[in-house]
Amino acid sequence: MDKLHFFDQINIEIPFETIYSRLGYRQGITRLTGRQKEEIDSYINEAARLLRLKGVGRRAEIIGRKPKALELSGGVIFESSLLVSVFPNVSELLLIGATSGSGIITAIENCQKQDLTRGVVFDAVASETVDLCLDWICDYFNRLLKRENKQLTAKRISCGYSDFQLENQKIFYEFLELAKLDVSLNDECMLKPEKSVTAVVGVMEVK
Amino acid sequence: MSKLKIRELLKKRIVLLDGATGTELYKRGMPAGACPESWCLENPGIIKSLHADYLASGSDIVYACTFTANRKKLSYYKIKDVISLNQRLVLLARQAVGNKALVAGDIAGTGEFIKPFGNLDFEQAVDIYKEQVKGLLLGGVDLFVIETMIDIQEARAALIAVKELSDKFTIVTMTYEKAGRTLNGNDPLSALTTLQSLGADAVGANCSTGPEDMCKIISKIKPYATVPLVAKPNAGMPELVNNKAVFNLKPAEFALAAKRLVSLGVNLIGGCCGTTPEHIAGLKRKLLTVKPLVSKIKAVSALSSARRTFVFAGQKNPLIIGEKINPTGKKDFQRELAKGDFSSAIRLAKEQESQGAEVLDLNLGVGGTDEKKLMLSALSLLSVSTSLPLVIDSANPEVIEEALRFYPGRALINSISGEKKRLKKLLNLAKKYGAMFIILPITGKKIPETFKERKKIIEMIYKEAVKAGLTKDDFLVDGLVMPLSWSSKAASTTLEVIGWCSKQLKVKTVAGLSNVSFGLPQRRLVNRVFLKMAKACGLTAAIADPQDKQPLNNRLAENLLLGKDKDSRKFIAVYSRIKPLAKEKVRKEVSEPRVQVYQAIIEGNRSQVNSLIDKALSPKLKAQELLEKNMIPAMVAVGELFQVRQYFLPQLIASAETMQRGVFHLQPYLKKKTAGRSKKGVVLLATVKGDIHDIGKNIVALVLKNYGFEVIDLGKDISAEKIIAKAKFHSPDIVGLSALMTTTMVQMPLVILAAKKEGLGCKFMVGGAVVNKTYADSIGAEYAKDSIAAVKVAEKIGRRRGRP
Repeated sequence: MDKLHFFDQINIEIPFETIYSRLGYRQGITRLTGRQKEEIDSYINEAARLLRLKGVGRRAEIIGRKPKALELSGGVIFESSLLVSVFPNVSELLLIGATSGSGIITAIENCQKQDLTRGVVFDAVASETVDLCLDWICDYFNRLLKRENKQLTAKRISCGYSDFQLENQKIFYEFLELAKLDVSLNDECMLKPEKSVTAVVGVMEVK
Repeated sequence: MSKLKIRELLKKRIVLLDGATGTELYKRGMPAGACPESWCLENPGIIKSLHADYLASGSDIVYACTFTANRKKLSYYKIKDVISLNQRLVLLARQAVGNKALVAGDIAGTGEFIKPFGNLDFEQAVDIYKEQVKGLLLGGVDLFVIETMIDIQEARAALIAVKELSDKFTIVTMTYEKAGRTLNGNDPLSALTTLQSLGADAVGANCSTGPEDMCKIISKIKPYATVPLVAKPNAGMPELVNNKAVFNLKPAEFALAAKRLVSLGVNLIGGCCGTTPEHIAGLKRKLLTVKPLVSKIKAVSALSSARRTFVFAGQKNPLIIGEKINPTGKKDFQRELAKGDFSSAIRLAKEQESQGAEVLDLNLGVGGTDEKKLMLSALSLLSVSTSLPLVIDSANPEVIEEALRFYPGRALINSISGEKKRLKKLLNLAKKYGAMFIILPITGKKIPETFKERKKIIEMIYKEAVKAGLTKDDFLVDGLVMPLSWSSKAASTTLEVIGWCSKQLKVKTVAGLSNVSFGLPQRRLVNRVFLKMAKACGLTAAIADPQDKQPLNNRLAENLLLGKDKDSRKFIAVYSRIKPLAKEKVRKEVSEPRVQVYQAIIEGNRSQVNSLIDKALSPKLKAQELLEKNMIPAMVAVGELFQVRQYFLPQLIASAETMQRGVFHLQPYLKKKTAGRSKKGVVLLATVKGDIHDIGKNIVALVLKNYGFEVIDLGKDISAEKIIAKAKFHSPDIVGLSALMTTTMVQMPLVILAAKKEGLGCKFMVGGAVVNKTYADSIGAEYAKDSIAAVKVAEKIGRRRGRP
């Protein structure tokens, strides 16, 4: 089992286009005045300043494979036929997690009653950037893996998809020591701050 | 081989590097997961044959297999003798190529990030690299290569380590993603600016992309490169074939693409992942007769941060260096800094960046504090909170030294004056760390009053700078701005210095703008007029409040600044009476006020809707009519625009919030019986137990209210028991439930079941990311995919229940 790789400050470009798209903007269809665009862009920039993007990743060997379960080093067992079928030829998995930090979440909550427009934009910024953090962590691990003649699979699975139950979030939480990122887990397996995500990726050999 | 000889060679021809080591070692039997360095020592014949193959293919330089031979990386494999391992690997390379090729000591990342991105201290990183460099030197390397760097700060640490132990030729290459930045956000121009000024002998890119994408990087940086450029691309981008990643670019195609890189200005070229000795042989054949594009630029005037560069290149307006991060005269700021609180510094940085500053001055001189410590902490925080390059503004050379060593870019020193000891120390620091600097025409404590005195000091410092190996492109001259209250000639002398520097000496100039207006009324006006006059004299940069960046014409202020207004009498007489400029008169709208209210809702103009309503209300137009004939239709129109996607979510919500404000404002004027607006129905909303995501539910609440529903919002994480109790109390027409997760959506049927048990007559409407129509049908509820759909569903239910 690999050591934990913590990333205390993930630096990414704010993805304006995907944020707009997430909010429902459709190129060539949605009409926006200059004032409206300026307002939304200013909220995006404001949100960007509130983000404190952090992440973590850890590799684990697959030591047992059943039709509906993968057993990993470190005593982790994922029961999911989806996972088994998506990662058929991989010898290990990479578990990753990222969070937006609590500052942006507090700001979103503060906007709920009086300034929902701002809140909705903040929410979209946090969601999109935290997803990008997972891409960033994958890129980082790909660099390390290259030296071992390996690379990550293109597919990435998060808890809640198909039969990869949300309850697996508990495994991620402990295996990735998400508490060290100031992330907590509630009884319904939801991570807090709300914009915190986890995923699993396969590690495959390069020809 | 000496640095000079390599430089000579680079003037004559393209220098060929080697190809991939890792992918070749795997082909030649290295098992996956092995430590390449120790495997090579255990299998010396294989690594030697690889080096020899590259030599035979035409490589002028081979990289010793020491890529990850640093303390941090080797500790994964429990290897401790870093120096000996590096030495032995270099010797293997030397045995393989003899003196027919140069052997480079290969240095790469530690696998950890330097603070603030990770836990590694900068000096710790320098120390780790120094240990590796010692081993490489013992092995007898001809040059160093620092490669595959994803963070400029780690590249700097390695470069400083090399430079402090050796004078050998050093190449630094960063790894850029397809989007053109490193994983840590560094762009090619900033990396070039920082690294070449710090003493890298060649700079460029390796890995990550194929030659085509690398062309974009090379074309961006070539115009600013004072050093030879390097490219070591992959053999194309890896493609998945039978679930395996394969590099597809064959030697001939690779060579053809690489030729383009050379035509764009690459001087040293080789290959990274997926390339083989055949690829290098292909390069050799293709580039045999190609002449190198040697950079003609000796120096570049540019400042950089880790993520942005400012190049001094004939800007139309003076560069604005934000002056606000300076605690002088700001007691609250001083108290904060003394407590180690940098929140104001960060706020001021962001504020000035948004106001248009392009570089920020950083002065943290607070009496009784450890300025060095403050400076390093601030640099660490500001390097992530602003992308602007920084000016290190301190009177203490030790603070400047620590700051320059740590700063992940090319900084500007503010400033170097003429006192001999200090001058020598600071010029040497500027040279060592590649910083630009400001020449302050002062020696000792006395301020030189005349142009002649200042000119003499400037010429002396300039001469010393050249002696230290610096050029005109490395500095700006401060015109030395003194307050007009100090001397009526203060501004005109400064203008004379600026004019002489720019026209005669042909060097760049800078002025601390706001000092001139100290003690005067209308300071901003004076500053802006002074800026205009200094600009006319050729001023390059102004240390100023970015809000003063627009030059201004004003005859009275010009006379004052030219020393033609004795004791500033006329200016003070006029401007001490004038209040600040009145705000621009708002353009009178021609359209009817009631139409403006409609338009405000359509456009989501929350700030003006209430004043527009006030303007619209009259004996002829009552509140009720405005609401029914203008405001509600506006909201209906917004809903329609949203449905056909001409509006997207922020517009819908902004309009809904505008409507909400407007209706609230109208309440006192509406007839009592309709003060709550005609009820289309009562909706009780809740996000179910265990679910903390309620932004979607809040949007639904807002929009429903705007469409005339009474909404009782219970909030998030609400138990079935509480929902039922509230439903009994309020007797709503509809209960709306929201859930985002699969684990919480199961609460929805529990609520519905409990409602049936209690005999409640309300209908249920559900929504949320994981909910769909099938699920809603299965639990006996209506489904609403978004807020407008929720309105439609609620109206449908309302009509069935006899609501209007």
